[in-house]
Amino acid sequence: MIVRVRAFARFREILGGDLALELPDGAVMAAVLAVLRDRAGGESDAIFDETGAFRSHVILMRNGKRVKRDDLYTLVLADGDEVAIFPPVAGG
Amino acid sequence: MLLLRERERYARQILLFGEEGQERLKKAKVFIAGAGGLGCPIALYLAVAGVGEILLVDRDTVDRTNLNRQVLHWESDIGELKARSAEAKLREANPDIRVEALAATIDEANVRDLIAGADLIVDAMDNFPTRYLLNREALRSGIPLLHGAVRGFDGQATTIIPGRTACLECIFPEAPPGEVFPVVGTTPGIIGLIQANEAIKYVTGAGDLLSGRLLLWDGLSAKLETFAVERRLECPACGGRRGS
Repeated sequence: MIVRVRAFARFREILGGDLALELPDGAVMAAVLAVLRDRAGGESDAIFDETGAFRSHVILMRNGKRVKRDDLYTLVLADGDEVAIFPPVAGG
Repeated sequence: MLLLRERERYARQILLFGEEGQERLKKAKVFIAGAGGLGCPIALYLAVAGVGEILLVDRDTVDRTNLNRQVLHWESDIGELKARSAEAKLREANPDIRVEALAATIDEANVRDLIAGADLIVDAMDNFPTRYLLNREALRSGIPLLHGAVRGFDGQATTIIPGRTACLECIFPEAPPGEVFPVVGTTPGIIGLIQANEAIKYVTGAGDLLSGRLLLWDGLSAKLETFAVERRLECPACGGRRGS
């Protein structure tokens, strides 16, 4: 199945703005994050901490709804899902 | 009642929301936290739209590095308090409104007094700790908070209606790390004017607000979109509050 991932703000610079990920049917949200972690390479610490979890200020959404950190391993994705990932911006 | 010259000044927007809408703007008091990249365009456009009372608070003085985006402050204002610089420009832009600008740091001790009597709180800050303070005060007082923030070519905005929509801590439970953020002036111009537009809609009752939606602006690809945002029951700021 194909899951679309869109990164915003600084994460777009690191991950690319619009990705189509091919994942096995039944993949959970954590699988998307694993792909993104690899893709981010040396800059992954802007998004992920030492344990591999995404940082607490990072916003993750699936089809426009916020994804909780507790649900990463239970949230099963479907073909055509859209995942958005972004950090809040803070300047004014 | 509008004066004759006010009917002239606002003629084109009275075509949109009538004299009644204009009178609502005239009676409105808006608190703007910050006179920087966001605060300058917000204050200017709300002033010329005829918001009757604008209270602007900023503790800083004008620095040359501000001038690429803080459009109420000019070369001749370097070294001047931003509050004073902004106040002078706003008075000249529209002498028919009341403008008060204070050089002060918004903190826990003064936030309640600063915001008292306002119809709206506009977040034009450059840091999350003060934003969280404004959010808590908005929740306590029930006054809506218009959030905006920028970095580089990117921006975000949302309209928080206490007790009804996600609050700032529901959407952003943790502040991103601090930094000297890169920014081009058009980004706070765009986001600031979205906030000002929300203020005008809120006061006049026109249109649909950005309440319960987070707007993201990606200036490099010229894309603007909104995501639904929901309240978090476990939110430490508003989780216990139900509709007021």
